[in-house]
Amino acid sequence: MAEQFEPRIVAFLCKWCSSAGSDLAGVSRMQYPPNVIPITVMCSGSVSPLYIFDAFNKGADGVLVSGCHPGDCHYIKGNYYARRRIAIVKKLLDFIGLEPERFQMSWVSAAEGKKYTQIISDFVEELKPLGPQTKLRRNI
Amino acid sequence: MDKILLKKALPQWVKKLQTYRIYAPAKDEDIWTYEAVNTPEDIDLEFLITALSPKKIIFPQREVYFEFNKDDNDNPDIKETIPEDEPTIVFGVRPCDAKALTLTDLVFGGDFEDVYYWKRRNQTILVGLACNTPPSTNCFCLSVEGSPHSKEGLDILLTDLGDKYYVESLTKNGVKLLNLAKNLFTPPKAGDKKDLQKIHAESEKKIKKQIKNLKKVPPKLKGMWDSSFWDEEAMSCLRCGICTYMCPTCHCFDINDEVHSHTPLTGKRIRTWDTCQFPDFTMHSSGHNPRPDKASRLRQRIMHKFQYFVERYQNYQCTGCGRCITNCPVGIDIIEVLDKVRDYGP
Amino acid sequence: MVNVEDLRKEAKRILKEGKVKYVIGYERGQNGLMPKPAFIKDPEDVDRLIWNPTCVHNLTKFLVDEKKRKAGEKKPDERPVGIVVKGCDSRAIIVLLQEKYINREDVHILGISCEQTGVIDEKKLANKLKGKKAENIELDEKGNFVISVQGGTIKVPAEELLAERCLECRANYPVVYDLLLGDKTKKKVEEPFKSLEKMESLSEKERWAFWTEQLAKCIRCYACRSVCPMCYCDECVVDTINFAVTADTTASEKAGKIKWVEKSPVPSENFVYHMVRAMHLAGRCIDCGECERVCPLDIPLRFLNKKLEKEAKELFGYDAGFDPDEPSLVSSFKDEDPEDFIR
Repeated sequence: MAEQFEPRIVAFLCKWCSSAGSDLAGVSRMQYPPNVIPITVMCSGSVSPLYIFDAFNKGADGVLVSGCHPGDCHYIKGNYYARRRIAIVKKLLDFIGLEPERFQMSWVSAAEGKKYTQIISDFVEELKPLGPQTKLRRNI
Repeated sequence: MDKILLKKALPQWVKKLQTYRIYAPAKDEDIWTYEAVNTPEDIDLEFLITALSPKKIIFPQREVYFEFNKDDNDNPDIKETIPEDEPTIVFGVRPCDAKALTLTDLVFGGDFEDVYYWKRRNQTILVGLACNTPPSTNCFCLSVEGSPHSKEGLDILLTDLGDKYYVESLTKNGVKLLNLAKNLFTPPKAGDKKDLQKIHAESEKKIKKQIKNLKKVPPKLKGMWDSSFWDEEAMSCLRCGICTYMCPTCHCFDINDEVHSHTPLTGKRIRTWDTCQFPDFTMHSSGHNPRPDKASRLRQRIMHKFQYFVERYQNYQCTGCGRCITNCPVGIDIIEVLDKVRDYGP
Repeated sequence: MVNVEDLRKEAKRILKEGKVKYVIGYERGQNGLMPKPAFIKDPEDVDRLIWNPTCVHNLTKFLVDEKKRKAGEKKPDERPVGIVVKGCDSRAIIVLLQEKYINREDVHILGISCEQTGVIDEKKLANKLKGKKAENIELDEKGNFVISVQGGTIKVPAEELLAERCLECRANYPVVYDLLLGDKTKKKVEEPFKSLEKMESLSEKERWAFWTEQLAKCIRCYACRSVCPMCYCDECVVDTINFAVTADTTASEKAGKIKWVEKSPVPSENFVYHMVRAMHLAGRCIDCGECERVCPLDIPLRFLNKKLEKEAKELFGYDAGFDPDEPSLVSSFKDEDPEDFIR
């Protein structure tokens, strides 16, 4: 039997909420797929579109940007900026023909360990039928 | 060896050449490019001028020097990647572009021979097409010691005589290609030779652009290093790489290690085109840039082509194809610049 | 109708009075019909200035040049620069003002209205002429371009020759100016994003195939970046060496510089470059179409920017280049910004 495809997800998690949320999932021993490479950033608003393109370029099958719920940002409004920017990135990736499922954004608070595991499980399930991401992967 | 080939017999000839990889001009919307030929019927030599010259086949924009990786014991492992054996024919080479290759030959030859370049160069046969009418409004080959029916650098020169080509095979390789389809070629009649001479003579008259007294330019350039002339001329320059990347004679390159994976380490050392028009071309690691502005970069382009190269190789590094003029987004015209240089100062 | 004499008169006046350092405008190119940028310093040279439907260039890039040049001078001439702009170009000035890249007093704007037409597309013209050489091109009262060629004239309805962006133009006269020539009647454009429809109707697979084919052609001459007035970064992500390297930069800092894009012009790297550029122009691109015009390999780059222009308008009601006091697209937000895509 062929080995099942296990997608690799690069997740940019804000330090104050989503990263803490993923920690909570961990210390609470919640089970979720081990397909995520988490990268803690200070704020979802600090995720440059270049990081996202670069993650795909370096071979990510999916990219997740996750931050605090609106109103909860440690820096007051970073997640609002992120919301706008990510909306545009999503449209652009869609326009050039990348599968829209491959790029996601979520709000995960420090208390939402459960939600975090759910988001990752769903994401992994959605990516599996798509197979490896080769479109933007570096090929030199 | 001179022969005649009927135009309708061209695909049959190409079919006999199937052991070669064949490139010919193909139209992509508004531009012509050299593309690999899969079906001989597709060859269309009614083209004008290609966007990029056949330089891109002999000196591709990206050349892999070698692949590297580290084995389990951390020992480096290097694999040389010389271009494969792939005998190639390029159809529809304009005389200016063929001449340009004789100039890059000088650069990649000489004391140190560039193996990558020569591997491709030696296995490529160039089938030229004389320009009965100038393929671009900016042609000026006559001014730089070229001609619309120049044989320099070519293996075969075709001249369009209406429903047939006058075929001049100029090298051993050229003769070899003709011999692969002997029955298609007939000896020229007396009238054909006359037609050929007439067409060649007329084609020269049709070239409107010229630089008068170009030989005055190189000595003049010598005294113009510090001139404010360059600031004036470069005002409209955008610092893009079009003029040099499209140029059939420009040959500057950059070498980079492109890493695929850090653990385990794998990657390739790669040569890519580079251009004197980019600010990072001359950037020193100290942070000093000896050519800090666009004026000094325009000066470099002109001086390289019409002074340094002339001193070193006794040739202008320009074949008058006109691509830099046609494609410049702000209309910088090398003919105009050279005219001004010639008439500059006392 | 725009009378070029009025433009020359004003240029002469401001040069003579010493109000401006020089005037950036259009002059006849060496190379037949198409004009080239002109930099007029001497009031006696103003007759070189021209205006006609071939004046396609967006000259505002030279304001960026001027600023960079001034930064390198010990005692810069602080006088403004005169510049000839069309409607679209003036929107670029608005964005530069909005981003505080230039100040209003740095520039003396000679605005020209395109009235009910626009500028021609060089390639469309070449296809119409079929090898003939055009000597002059003018607009007649009925909205036709009259092209003078050797031994006669050719009449072509304006729409057939106008640049794509002019057919979707939303600023047919300058938004900001010190002098305006021509009529200030808004041109009616029913569908400002019509050119995108075909692309958007394609399937995801077809779109991917389209862009792969197009971007594979890219030779990374960076003409699209070089011509763009919004691409004024001192340091661009695609450059191999950091512009900001100084004598104080340490070796480890240099070695640590991230290489976002490899120099190999292969699709995967070209995609990163063009996507980053598109993102960087989101909410800033004013659709002057220069990137597409200058591309020597005819890559339809305008689509990328146009798409994001459309999304900015539809998602956030944002229009670049109309109001210098408005906060920019990505440095602002509204509570009601869409978030239906967020989990």
